[in-house]
Amino acid sequence: MNFSLLMILLTPIFGGLLAYAGSALHKAVRNIFFLIFLILPFFELYQYANKTIDNFYYLTVLGQSLSLGINALSFMLSLLFSLIFLLAYIFLLFEFDKSEDSDLAILEFSFLEGAVFGVLFARDILSFFIFFEIIALIIFFLIGKGYEESHNAQLKYITWALIGANSMLAAVVFLFFKAGSFGYAEISGYLSTAPTPIVLITFVLFVIGFLIEASIMPLHVWAPITYAEAPDSVSVLLSSVVKKVGLYLFTIFVFSIFGLNLFSKIMPRVFEAPLIMYVLQWIGALTIIIGTFVAIVQEDAKKILAWSSIAQSGYILLGLSLGTPLGVAGGLLHIVNHSIFKGILFFVVGGVIYRTGTKNLSELGGLIKKMPISFISMLLAIIATAGIPPLNGFVSKYLIYEALIQNKEPLLLTIALLGGTGSFMYVYRLIHSIFLGQLPKKYEGVKEVPILMQVPMLVLSLLALLFGVLPGIPMYFVSKAEAFLGFDPIKYTLTGFPEQPGLHALNVPIISAALMGGFVVAALIFYLLPKTRSVHQLDNYYAGEILTEDVKYNYSFGFYSFFDDIIKPFNEWSIDRIYENFVGFVKTVGDYIRRIYTGNLETYVSLGIIILTIFSLIYIIGGVLW
Amino acid sequence: MVEKLVLILTPIFAFFVGIFLEGFKRKMVARIHRRYGPPLHQPLLDIIKLLSKKENISHGVMFDLGPVIFVGASILTVLFLPLPHFKQLTPYGDLIAFLYIMVIGSLGMALGAGESGNPNASIGIARALTLMLGYELPLIIAGNTLVVRYGTTDLYKFMTLQSGFNWNLFLLPLTAIAGFIATYGAMGEHPFDTVVAPQEVATGPMVEYGGKHLGLLMIGHAIQVYIETAFFTILFLGGASNIFTFILKQLGVIIVMTLFDTVFPRFRIENAVRYFWRWPTLIALLGLLIVYIGGK
Repeated sequence: MNFSLLMILLTPIFGGLLAYAGSALHKAVRNIFFLIFLILPFFELYQYANKTIDNFYYLTVLGQSLSLGINALSFMLSLLFSLIFLLAYIFLLFEFDKSEDSDLAILEFSFLEGAVFGVLFARDILSFFIFFEIIALIIFFLIGKGYEESHNAQLKYITWALIGANSMLAAVVFLFFKAGSFGYAEISGYLSTAPTPIVLITFVLFVIGFLIEASIMPLHVWAPITYAEAPDSVSVLLSSVVKKVGLYLFTIFVFSIFGLNLFSKIMPRVFEAPLIMYVLQWIGALTIIIGTFVAIVQEDAKKILAWSSIAQSGYILLGLSLGTPLGVAGGLLHIVNHSIFKGILFFVVGGVIYRTGTKNLSELGGLIKKMPISFISMLLAIIATAGIPPLNGFVSKYLIYEALIQNKEPLLLTIALLGGTGSFMYVYRLIHSIFLGQLPKKYEGVKEVPILMQVPMLVLSLLALLFGVLPGIPMYFVSKAEAFLGFDPIKYTLTGFPEQPGLHALNVPIISAALMGGFVVAALIFYLLPKTRSVHQLDNYYAGEILTEDVKYNYSFGFYSFFDDIIKPFNEWSIDRIYENFVGFVKTVGDYIRRIYTGNLETYVSLGIIILTIFSLIYIIGGVLW
Repeated sequence: MVEKLVLILTPIFAFFVGIFLEGFKRKMVARIHRRYGPPLHQPLLDIIKLLSKKENISHGVMFDLGPVIFVGASILTVLFLPLPHFKQLTPYGDLIAFLYIMVIGSLGMALGAGESGNPNASIGIARALTLMLGYELPLIIAGNTLVVRYGTTDLYKFMTLQSGFNWNLFLLPLTAIAGFIATYGAMGEHPFDTVVAPQEVATGPMVEYGGKHLGLLMIGHAIQVYIETAFFTILFLGGASNIFTFILKQLGVIIVMTLFDTVFPRFRIENAVRYFWRWPTLIALLGLLIVYIGGK
């Protein structure tokens, strides 16, 4: 069968509508209907492997044909996002099982997937803009179904989404009038000869829109509260899909539409990158370090993940904006890897909330014996987040570090590596406060999450392990995407990377094998010796104090309080505060304007008379009004 | 063939060198305190004693696996350090990979200690991770300086490039000093021993461990002593042309460290991190600047 791109885009929407209708019959009908329509995109996408299509026209607007297309990069991401949508849907069914919103949530979910495909396939600036705004709108609706504070989160999200939308709209309209066309190719052709200010202004306007969605500092203000308050399945989508859509657009616009050559032509080069890319590298680095440090001192499980997500998108931005084959490969690979491991973390935390009803870390603890599968999934995910071999996060960060070495940027490399160490701190805090430590009495009856709910985390955990040990599998797609963007793809093998300029050879299976060898030796020593005897969790050394089930010494609240002391001087410099000051300023200005517009007719009449008098006087004296 | 044999024997070699260095250190501390001190092989006797305990207490599977992961990962880390004339596994991973491989052991240890449910252990781990953030900064900058200077990240090449007396200790003294302080912090010696701090958190992560668990932890610790000293030797003391010089240089590192260790009191954890982010970092940055401007 031959599927057109428009069909892939409409499949989930169609499925969602059908499922919505089916919900009148029975919930099971709805669930199965929609599940089928979430699996279909994989088969439909299959025929587009290794194909580049640029001009599938589907609509004519303002005399211009709007077109869809697919290339190696959007193919890779649409496969990945289809998988994450499928898994998030399974999770969503459990999360909303008691809620009355579930039918509507599924409908919105389907439109979201359609819109994401739309952005990935769009080949002109109008289509991408429309689909991008549909995403923002639906995310706005979905957030509202979350936790207590979700309505505040909605407001913050939509404000920022609108800022991004307006800034992109300005660029879209401007470029349409200048270039006379919406198509990516025509825009690119126009920009190559356009005056420098036009290039710079449109670029900055577009990038603001993308980086808001990617929650890069200083445009991240909406992200922590939104990620924390949205329903868990929506948090997964926010972090693993919507954020990556923003970064996908960034990649396409920087390398394919504007192009590095254009930037090199109009601005000086700093550290082998055009000036504006160098600025973006520093923005990425600051996002890494600040995001990581703030994540360390959070007390809410989902807030930690939110800040971690911000920090990780800093790595992606840093890698991409290096603009070298190594850096771009690292950035693209990290898009894939981060979607996978952050997905696991949100799924596990969501499962814990599903069973215990809290996301407050200081109320949790000791769940390892109750939820072992979740523990193992989270263990793999935190190893990946911290960038430790042999999980997938290591390879992509490794590429970014090596790219920084190749560009001879020791300061950025220092920041990136320190961010890696910092991520070790917050992921340990997360797993310790949820699964280790002491089990509170009220959670003694907690069970592992249902088997179907384990599927999303297990599938992604296996992928994280597979992509970590055999980096060649994701690199197959990444190198094709890189070739599409016009780079010399870096050399890779199934097991890692061969020796090449700027990159030391790496072989992850050998690292894993040596690790396993070490484990076997240590385990032999351990298990051949006399057996252990299990004791109760309170059978501990407490310096002579006798503790009971009611009075516990569980170290969980303020885990890194001493670290908080160290960074306290910098808390004054919060970006939120700058925005709050700005809001205060706008309010003050508005207050003065309100004194003129009192809503009182007499005031308006007298104002009119005064202005008329002034104008008449100018005219009488002999001045020219316009 | 010989290389593979050496590869398999390296962890055992590292273990015994580590035991020797530890024993030497205890003897030296005792002499500075004007005691006679235990025999050189005392750490080995301790391990044998602990491993032969009949009664072992466990708090769960992760608690058991913690020491196993610690030892297993230490063995892995040893394999990625080159020896004189032997590249070991360095063709498959460089300095950056090594930095991350080094962390696996601490992760296992942290997870195991966390499951014990003892707040002292958790506090110890929290301190250990914070301290790590402290000493990693000068260590990273020092490492960067070497990478900028030599244009490679291969540990074996670092060793060969310094042959003769072209030690980085003489060529890049500032970087070497910063690297030394950072390595010293990584070893957790006074005044940076906030992690174990017996009087405050009852040896921190190790508080619930006894018997064969503690025995394994001590095996791992011996290997870690070898790793830290060998790492410093390779990066700054020019590696070595034969195995005896290598051990001799490691011994030199331990002697200097012990001189500091015996006379210092203990930092509070915040102050330790502040210290690392201030003086060693400044020194390291200065070293980096000199290399960056002065020529490759």
